[in-house]
Amino acid sequence: MEVQKEAQRIMTLSVWKMYHSRMQRGGLRLHRSLQLSLVMRSARELYLSAKVEALDSEVSLPPALPSDPRLHPPREAESTAETSTPDGEHPSPEPMDTQEAPTAEETSAYCGPRPAKVSRKRRSSSLSDGGDAGLVPSKKARLEEKEEEEGASSEVADRLQPPPAQAEGAFPNLARVLQRRFSGLLNCSPAAPPTAPPACEAKPACRPADSMLNVLVRAVVAF
Amino acid sequence: MQNSNNTPDIISTVEFNHTGELLATGDKGGRVVIFQREQESKNQVHRRGEYNVYSTFQSHEPEFDYLKSLEIEEKINKIRWLPQQNAAYFLLSTNDKTVKLWKVSERDKRPEGYNLKDEEGRLRDPATITTLRVPVLRPMDLMVEATPRRVFANAHTYHINSISVNSDYETYMSADDLRINLWNFEITNQSFNIVDIKPANMEELTEVITAAEFHPHHCNTFVYSSSKGTIRLCDMRASALCDRHTKFFEEPEDPSNRSFFSEIISSISDVKFSHSGRYIMTRDYLTVKVWDLNMENRPIETYQVHDYLRSKLCSLYENDCIFDKFECVWNGSDSVIMTGSYNNFFRMFDRNTKRDVTLEASRENSKPRAILKPRKVCVGGKRRKDEISVDSLDFSKKILHTAWHPSENIIAVAATNNLYIFQDKVN
Repeated sequence: MEVQKEAQRIMTLSVWKMYHSRMQRGGLRLHRSLQLSLVMRSARELYLSAKVEALDSEVSLPPALPSDPRLHPPREAESTAETSTPDGEHPSPEPMDTQEAPTAEETSAYCGPRPAKVSRKRRSSSLSDGGDAGLVPSKKARLEEKEEEEGASSEVADRLQPPPAQAEGAFPNLARVLQRRFSGLLNCSPAAPPTAPPACEAKPACRPADSMLNVLVRAVVAF
Repeated sequence: MQNSNNTPDIISTVEFNHTGELLATGDKGGRVVIFQREQESKNQVHRRGEYNVYSTFQSHEPEFDYLKSLEIEEKINKIRWLPQQNAAYFLLSTNDKTVKLWKVSERDKRPEGYNLKDEEGRLRDPATITTLRVPVLRPMDLMVEATPRRVFANAHTYHINSISVNSDYETYMSADDLRINLWNFEITNQSFNIVDIKPANMEELTEVITAAEFHPHHCNTFVYSSSKGTIRLCDMRASALCDRHTKFFEEPEDPSNRSFFSEIISSISDVKFSHSGRYIMTRDYLTVKVWDLNMENRPIETYQVHDYLRSKLCSLYENDCIFDKFECVWNGSDSVIMTGSYNNFFRMFDRNTKRDVTLEASRENSKPRAILKPRKVCVGGKRRKDEISVDSLDFSKKILHTAWHPSENIIAVAATNNLYIFQDKVN
């Protein structure tokens, strides 16, 4: 449990650092982004393996439908379109077909050399764990996760400032994606944080970290 | 995280020229300050040549890349001197994107007595000129001018981390995170790409280039280090694009040292050839390693710089110190190596006697002619009187950049925005 908490703390910290590094003068540093993503991957692996161990030692409920990342975005995109973003810089929400592909595309659209083919079909890359499907938390675990994260991130919230509301810089869309995805992770509280989609109140404010991390890690490294 | 390490006069690079007569520093504000050693005079034997400011100029200014909406920092990442070939001095300075060749020259004479111009430089009325006179050079106060002779721009997509002058003195290379380019000093609108490790799919990126240097004597050979702790030696005669290395230096990881942050701390922050060209030295977060060019599977020497930090890596990750890039230097005879640490400490390792020393660069300890006292960090429970405990170390005071005179025991140590110059004791 301690291991899980520590791993989660480091994941949260890494996300915050990645977000914060965008604000630095000179732009996103590739080496730094790579190092942060490496730590985040290690933390995630540690977190997931600790979670597996924790699950094994409990009475397991029948697992819920595996959460397909592609099922979430349409709801999220809609609700984001309804919710006014705090920055107010770009009043028109970006159209998002899938959760991950546009992020990488937007990111790569902002940087000079663009990959020749941006695959919309997201296959597991080296950065994502192929065994994720088997490690998707069950309903019970998700509730537990919510409780844990509430407890863990309350101290995290003390240490970390919430991401700046104004998204400026090289990747404003990436900033909004980060804000939306990780506002839950960074400002985890029972009351919905300002940027978290209200439609998701049935689900915990903090999403399972792994699918988000895949997005973020890929988005950042695709600079 | 706000800290005091953002003022523009923080020194970001230090470099002696090939004779040691000049010492250049670059800072975060894009300025270059050159110090010159005083000529030793017979009258003042006790006063060994001290370094005084010789020239100051603004090398780089902040720029904005409108295409990518990115600000380009003016911070000087590296300075490299060219060998002196005439009365003027030449150096290369680089920020994240642009390399510049600067000419630093002295002017101590001024032409006076022009035929067609008056003393203020205004043209005379030709009708008033009745005699011919030739201007003569008269002495004036010494003026040191720095002029940019070449600007090598728009060749790097990523941030430049190294520049290195080739031993042919006609070419040099510049390295960023993913590519290395070869330039001719005379040609600014073209460069050759000699290394490209950018993957076709950026999502498959696993390592970046962290430093690169030409061999001191063989103009076809260079090395570059990676974020994975490996060094590649390349021969430009083998092919135009040196993506395949000639030699690959990697030490197998010690499984007992494996930790959460192993990958980060194994990243090499600096690589330097020895003056002899036989060895290379690399610096990662906790160690300095010396490699023999003829042995690729492990270094011949490993020196622990501050191993007491190994148990603090998590805290160092939190305060970003784990990302600090320390440099390392050889002395002139390749017998001693030096690198920096925290709390304004810097370390020297004697390769022959295997002795090492920790010294501190601080105002309190650096009265003129005072001898530096060795410092010690206490790792265990009981702290002796002169020791400092690990938890008392000031991690905001870091020595990332040092330089060693090419032939004498004079070192330059940059501690944030202060430059310390230490000399060997005069007997």
